[in-house]
Amino acid sequence: MKRGFAMLLGIAAVTLLPACVAGGGGYYGGGGGVDVTYGADFYEPWGYEYGGWGPRYWVGPPRGGDHGHGRDYTGGHPPAYHPAAPSRSMPSIPSRQRSR
Amino acid sequence: MAPPPNPIRRSLIGLLVTVLGAGLATPLAAAPVPLPPLVQPASTEHHVGKVIWVDLVTPDLKAAERFYSGLFGWTFSEIHTRSTDYALATLEGRPVCGIIQHLARAGEQRQPGWLTFIGASDVEATRRQIVQLGGQVLFAPHAVPQRGQQAVFADPQGAVFAVLASSSGDPPDVLASPGEWIWSSLLAQDPGTDAAFYQSVFGYEVFDSSSDDGSEHLILSSEDYARASVNGLPPGHRHPHWLNFVRVLDTLQMTTTVTQLGGRVLVEPRIDRHGGRVAVVADPSGAPFGLLEWPDSQSKEDMQ
Repeated sequence: MKRGFAMLLGIAAVTLLPACVAGGGGYYGGGGGVDVTYGADFYEPWGYEYGGWGPRYWVGPPRGGDHGHGRDYTGGHPPAYHPAAPSRSMPSIPSRQRSR
Repeated sequence: MAPPPNPIRRSLIGLLVTVLGAGLATPLAAAPVPLPPLVQPASTEHHVGKVIWVDLVTPDLKAAERFYSGLFGWTFSEIHTRSTDYALATLEGRPVCGIIQHLARAGEQRQPGWLTFIGASDVEATRRQIVQLGGQVLFAPHAVPQRGQQAVFADPQGAVFAVLASSSGDPPDVLASPGEWIWSSLLAQDPGTDAAFYQSVFGYEVFDSSSDDGSEHLILSSEDYARASVNGLPPGHRHPHWLNFVRVLDTLQMTTTVTQLGGRVLVEPRIDRHGGRVAVVADPSGAPFGLLEWPDSQSKEDMQ
């Protein structure tokens, strides 16, 4: 009986050790499925509203080369971000073609 | 006559059996999704701040496959584990994005959407910085085999994004082909403060490209490439979010195809600042994404 008990204990240790390692500090398990291991979930709140885009509501990338540094903040509130240096021209998206 | 059972031993055996069962079950339930590497063959190229991947979370994998293959010609290879249904989309053999099926619980209203992955070199260090700047951790940094380290966050205004340190390198900086992701926009409550947040986290240069009518339009750039725009939420929009655009040759024609395939047009085709047409559409599950024309030619006039 004691021998069987020891064997059971041994099997438990061998089985649990990889599970603990796979647990990676607790990210696995707990949620019991892929959402926990991969992290994909419906994170966004329900419902997007579109519309109300004015004629000059631009979302696309710049063509590049502009020195469009927007508004003049002299005398007003500076932006929360650090604007690019005025000497920098606005970059565009990559234009290099993929090598075949 | 057999001796009476020892109650302590019985309890110990019961406990062992329970633990043993849990130990066997845990690796099965937690089996990581065997995702392919982001870049094949692997490279040492890394582009911090670039949108390097997108994943769609949708309740109907097959419906999504039908829609996107009909629209862009993507082909899919499915990966199934005990609890996961995932499809890798490719275009001309190149990985384009992933689609993961996630069933909403009965009565639960959830928004299917595209999750934007931004390249980082150290996900844990990025997490610390995001938290320090008021962002929220939605899914803590973790390793995904073959993919790298990744985590999901919400910026201080609530827009959700993911960070990925790819173990196989980042996709090269080349012009996206039609049918590939070409651009990303963040629609934010306060573009200036959100741009400051992302600038602190990813080291972007920020250019102000706002239009004359006061619409705020900031450009985030790294390595001398424009990576994304930050726009103010238009009137009536409540939820800050990332919106990704696929390059198309003809936005008008593609919006027609979207509706034929069961999707919806959310923002009708319109000429954008760069001279090409953009539109915002939703797939049949409601996940929004953009369509954007970007000809190979360098001349803006050629596009109009």
